[in-house]
Amino acid sequence: MSSAVEFKQTGHLDPALLDPKAAANAEKLLGRWANTNRETRGIAECEIQRDGDQFSIQIFGAGEDGPIAWPRARTKALANLEEEAGQRTIALAANFEFGFMKSEIYIRVNKGVLVIVLYNTFQDDSGRSNYLNREFFYRVK
Amino acid sequence: MQFAQLSDHVETNGSNASMDLQALPGVWINSNPNTSGIARMVMSEANGKLSLQVFAVGPDGPIDWGSADVKVFAGVPTSKVGAGFTCNFDFGFAETELQGMIMKGLLVLAQFHRFKDDSKRADFFVREYYALEHGRYE
Repeated sequence: MSSAVEFKQTGHLDPALLDPKAAANAEKLLGRWANTNRETRGIAECEIQRDGDQFSIQIFGAGEDGPIAWPRARTKALANLEEEAGQRTIALAANFEFGFMKSEIYIRVNKGVLVIVLYNTFQDDSGRSNYLNREFFYRVK
Repeated sequence: MQFAQLSDHVETNGSNASMDLQALPGVWINSNPNTSGIARMVMSEANGKLSLQVFAVGPDGPIDWGSADVKVFAGVPTSKVGAGFTCNFDFGFAETELQGMIMKGLLVLAQFHRFKDDSKRADFFVREYYALEHGRYE
């Protein structure tokens, strides 16, 4: 990579970032996923579809009378150049806006398990603390 | 009360107590000495708010990213104990979002790097682990 390229860490100069396949290995993320914890009070299910270079994420929150469909989010994949044990996968990041709350999430697959990490920010005056959560999912379809 | 998942639906006592930030301030060191990313972070508290200064690995030594304001998150909506954070750095040519979560004293940091220049570099994600320097065994 040219030394004229701007950077703020050595990782920004990794030649792999110019590899068109850097964010191409997305098949592991696609499909319908169910929470490994059947008693979850968070995300019950998640469906990820691909449409060209975009991904569509449909999340269903656990509700009192059945799943709560979140607004569908569209996002692009992020390459993952290095992680433990030389593992390389990709990740998705998306934001969900509910009005009273917004949720920033990221999704990745680790050894066949889908991991969703959420950072929830309340925008109402309910007195609830902003909170984070991490949940695990297995592929059902 | 509105909710998108049952875990949002909690009873609150109306308390405006500030968040307990005790777990977050200090110097956080990357567990991987060969990282090509963030080597060290300094989390500082002033007037009940946190800021994060980042030092990344550069070809000629550490690169100081400067400081950014930190938004703190609890573990559940009824808690007032800080368990994680988010913050953003805008470098002009790129933006980096950091999402940190403390697990058993370890800081798990997800980093989202998005390029805004015409270098054709792929946006990328890295997850790394950081330990809080405590000096207890030195």
